[in-house]
Amino acid sequence: MDTNQILADVQEIFRDVLDNEDIEINFETVADDVEEWDSLSHIQLIVAIEKHFKIKFNSKELMEWKTVGDMIDCIAAK
Amino acid sequence: MDLSVFNKEYQHQFVVTQTVYDAFQQSSGDHNPLHTNQEFAQSKGFPECVMYGNILNGFVSYFIGMMLPTPDVIIHSQDIAYKNPVFLNDQLDFSATVEDISEAVNTIIFKYVFRNQKGKVVAKGHVQIGVI
Repeated sequence: MDTNQILADVQEIFRDVLDNEDIEINFETVADDVEEWDSLSHIQLIVAIEKHFKIKFNSKELMEWKTVGDMIDCIAAK
Repeated sequence: MDLSVFNKEYQHQFVVTQTVYDAFQQSSGDHNPLHTNQEFAQSKGFPECVMYGNILNGFVSYFIGMMLPTPDVIIHSQDIAYKNPVFLNDQLDFSATVEDISEAVNTIIFKYVFRNQKGKVVAKGHVQIGVI
């Protein structure tokens, strides 16, 4: 799956988990750009992304992410 | 913590006693006649008053708070689907297993089911917890 398709899927997950259909994310998006993206919703996002893509992250990977693009690259590499 | 310690089958029997029913009614303030008026419940096709479905959520709370290998847990979310009515003094066999573990965010999702003394599923659902 190419990174643009992953981004589109992740955006849908963000909209669903964060209950905001207006959320637009891109490869440069960071947590501060999305009002609803806090520490608790971050957990729900990770769980939902793992389930959707049938993958597992580890805590080291999460620590290394600075942007949504980093997350997308990590998903693409699995 | 190694989250694999949660990976086992959990079982417990709960009974919806008069005490449980009274305590839930008092704490919730729900006096809907389906739960309090036998004549009304019978007019809707039930043999007697239907117990509050959310009593079962209280039992899920017991599972998370008291049955897991550690008290260092918090509920993130839970869902429940009611399949059959529960009546006073029903004995409910609860069982739960791990459905998914997300090590990266210290999160576990359990699926659970309640069966009555006739073996019928009365409710089932999921509860997601975080290890804190």
